[in-house]
Amino acid sequence: MTHALEPELAVRLAGLTLRAKRTVDGLLAGMHRSPHRGASAIFKEHRAYRPGDDPRLIDWRAYARSDRYTIKHFEHETQLRGTLALDISPSMHWGSGDVSKVDYAATLLAALAYVLTRQGDAVSLVTFDEAIRDRLPARSGPAHLDYLMRMLAQPSPSSGATSLHSSLDKLIEHAGRMGLVVIASDLLDLSDGALDPIARIQARGHETVVLHVMDQAELELPYEQPMRFEGVEGEPHVEVDPQGIRRRYRAAIDAFLESCQRRVVAAGARYMLARTDRPPEHILLQLLRDG
Amino acid sequence: MGFGLPWALAGLLAVAIPILAHLLRRQKLPQQTLPTIAFLHRIHATRAARLRFVDMLLLVVRVAIVAALALAASAPYRVVQSSLLDRQHALAIVFDDSLSMSAMEDGETLIERAAALSKEQLRKLPEGSEVSVVLAGRPPRVWVRRRTELDMVNGAFDEIDTRSTRAGALCDAVGIAVELLLESELPERRLLVFSDFTSGAGASECDWPTRGIRLAFETVATSNPDNRRIASVEVVGGRDGPEGLTLEVRVAGPPTEANQSIRLRRKGQETQRAPVRWSANQGDATLTIEPGTQDAVVELRLYPDDLLPTDNVRGVLLGSNTVHVLLVDGDPHPDPRKRETAFLSHALSVAPRIGRSFAVETLDAQDLSESAIIRSDVVVLANAQLDEKWLPLIQHFVGGGGSLWITAGDRINPRVYGSVLRELLPGRYTATRKEERPVSLRSRALPELDQAEVTARTPISETSLDAIVTARFDDGTPAMVEHRYRNGRVAMFATTIDDAWTDLPYQPVFVPFVLDALERLAGRTQDVVEPYGSVSLPGSTSSQRIQVVTPTGKTLDLAEADRVAFRDTGEIGAYRVLVNGVDGERFAFVVDAPAAESDLESQGTPAEHSELEDLEAPGRGTEQPLMPWLFLAAVALLFAELWLRQIRRR
Repeated sequence: MTHALEPELAVRLAGLTLRAKRTVDGLLAGMHRSPHRGASAIFKEHRAYRPGDDPRLIDWRAYARSDRYTIKHFEHETQLRGTLALDISPSMHWGSGDVSKVDYAATLLAALAYVLTRQGDAVSLVTFDEAIRDRLPARSGPAHLDYLMRMLAQPSPSSGATSLHSSLDKLIEHAGRMGLVVIASDLLDLSDGALDPIARIQARGHETVVLHVMDQAELELPYEQPMRFEGVEGEPHVEVDPQGIRRRYRAAIDAFLESCQRRVVAAGARYMLARTDRPPEHILLQLLRDG
Repeated sequence: MGFGLPWALAGLLAVAIPILAHLLRRQKLPQQTLPTIAFLHRIHATRAARLRFVDMLLLVVRVAIVAALALAASAPYRVVQSSLLDRQHALAIVFDDSLSMSAMEDGETLIERAAALSKEQLRKLPEGSEVSVVLAGRPPRVWVRRRTELDMVNGAFDEIDTRSTRAGALCDAVGIAVELLLESELPERRLLVFSDFTSGAGASECDWPTRGIRLAFETVATSNPDNRRIASVEVVGGRDGPEGLTLEVRVAGPPTEANQSIRLRRKGQETQRAPVRWSANQGDATLTIEPGTQDAVVELRLYPDDLLPTDNVRGVLLGSNTVHVLLVDGDPHPDPRKRETAFLSHALSVAPRIGRSFAVETLDAQDLSESAIIRSDVVVLANAQLDEKWLPLIQHFVGGGGSLWITAGDRINPRVYGSVLRELLPGRYTATRKEERPVSLRSRALPELDQAEVTARTPISETSLDAIVTARFDDGTPAMVEHRYRNGRVAMFATTIDDAWTDLPYQPVFVPFVLDALERLAGRTQDVVEPYGSVSLPGSTSSQRIQVVTPTGKTLDLAEADRVAFRDTGEIGAYRVLVNGVDGERFAFVVDAPAAESDLESQGTPAEHSELEDLEAPGRGTEQPLMPWLFLAAVALLFAELWLRQIRRR
């Protein structure tokens, strides 16, 4: 893959806008509402002047009518800070078809970055496996987007196993406050509390979206003949007849997906299953419409 | 346990196939990476032990399937060591009723003893068993064919002739018995052989069943096999000679200190006896018969009797020095000296009286009679136009040992001879032809025959395969052809026997030519008759009364059907044949005891079946094929394999 975002996909998503539900602190003015009052086209309220208020905010027309100093409040439209987190652990580099999970996730994140950048929002990128591997600070503008695309297209190689807990903890520090955090991962860290940091991300005021990237073969175990299965993160091999265990395997996978969804939603975040055998725009459309 | 196809056991090596497949499959399982392998581990951990067990069972079952198929291919069988009395079965008894089994011991013959033993075994048979009895004297006979009524079978043993004179035919009887057993639907089959197993039985030559039939022997032999017999009789001298006939008798068998003698019986009356002089294993005696005897046959008997009296008797054909020749003139010449028969009679009258003499009877063709033919040794049809009514009689005459000589002439109709007598003749007469210049005759035996010239002839063509050409014309075509027809002989001469077409009668070689021809034609060709063998006798379709006097003096009137083949020859000794109440000298015959049956020494059962078995003994057992069971097991294992595979996938 030479470019993370296919031109066709970029065109289809060009008309869409992402509106954050929650106001975010932004350094740049934009379409997103800010909790801070200030110069803006949208009137919010009048209140009595208090010492310390900016005299420029006094509504002189109201003073003329009422002979009292009244402050006129406008809502600010601020710039959104989007943090895109990509799991680059070895399990993400696997795919049963032409597209690996990490490629698929990079496509999704690149599309989001493209949309956010078109809106003038700042986008940062974090790649992680057992720890944070690469960071790209939040910026906006075409040059930054291009740089971000290149990082997505060629994520740093990884040999470490997925460690969601520690990586997401580090992500909290990187994401700052009250922004949009999109995590693309297969969540294959079966240790207890692996997803606990999501609640803490939410507590920092972020709107968090977890894209659970799974391959169709992982979900269905479609193999027919007895095979020797090898892990991708150092797990011991196992020889099984897939036909004999398929039913149990699918049940276990379904339980895993359900568990992940339950824990993510319980943390206040959004959960979306991203199957690599589905077109990525479907995932994006659902994400943007519901957003 | 044994194997019908032991080489197929090499197929057991194929059990390595599932083992190797199991090992190779483990090594060569396709590999597949899977990030979610942790879930497989969780599931597999609970199944691993069970899977290992199922895999091992699968391997064992697959090995067992291959082994079962390989074993089945080798046709294994199990030998069931069960008693005959355990269950119903088909039993064939081969009962030797040959002459040697007529040996007497303790007041009974071996046949009687074997019959008693057979009945004893029958009593032990379970109800529903099927019994066949085959008698092993020649010819072998099915005495009882697959009967389940044991009482009836018991009674059948009482019907067996206890004084048999038969030769042995044990092997043929065994073959018949095996066929009877194979016809039976009962799975258990047994063959029981009662015999003395002497050399005459020839048991070692038999094709004994080796599979599927349980075989048992009972040797019924005498404890003292010493037996003597009249081995040979040589007739010396001539009956018309001054000293008559001398019979030199040779007795075979172990010497005995008892006084033994040879007694001569003529027409049932003892007329003479001579002591037997022993030297080593041979005894000799000499008897004489006075000159001029008319007896055709006499009987010798060795006294006193021993174990086997039957072979102490021997008939002796004295033969006849006189050849009765009937000359039939088909074209009587007005001048008696010019008749064909005249030339023949003259030749025979001047023949030297050395050896045989010729009694000549001459008849014109129209005077031919049945009695004239019957009393003749040789009938010469000289230029005779044969009436078809004589054909059956001539056929019987030749078939019974008479001889026929046909000479050509202008009365011969080749078409008639070629059609009605074709079977009898050694060739076919063709159209008579006159020679432009005389041809001569050629004969290796009589070189002087080339002095004779022939001016006309009726050529002989299409000679039969067994025909002998004794004289030829100088152009190579046959002049004199002979062949044997049943017990007689027939000769054809291609030219006249008078001077009409040849000057042969005027040649000195004519007498030896005629004598040579008649000597050959008059030679008796009746073989030695064995007991119950067939004897050809002169027959008549009309007025002749034929009687046969057996060695024991019984006179049998022959029915018409028996006149050609007389089979009531069970007695050993001399048989006389009466034609219209008169001894027909030419037709006496003797039946000799089979020489091999006189040896009463038991040779034992065949080596490969040396164990004597009783019906009750487990013995050799019955072979039960295991192939169907192995196939069944293979199928069951196949289902087990499929089931295990399903188990493995759950």
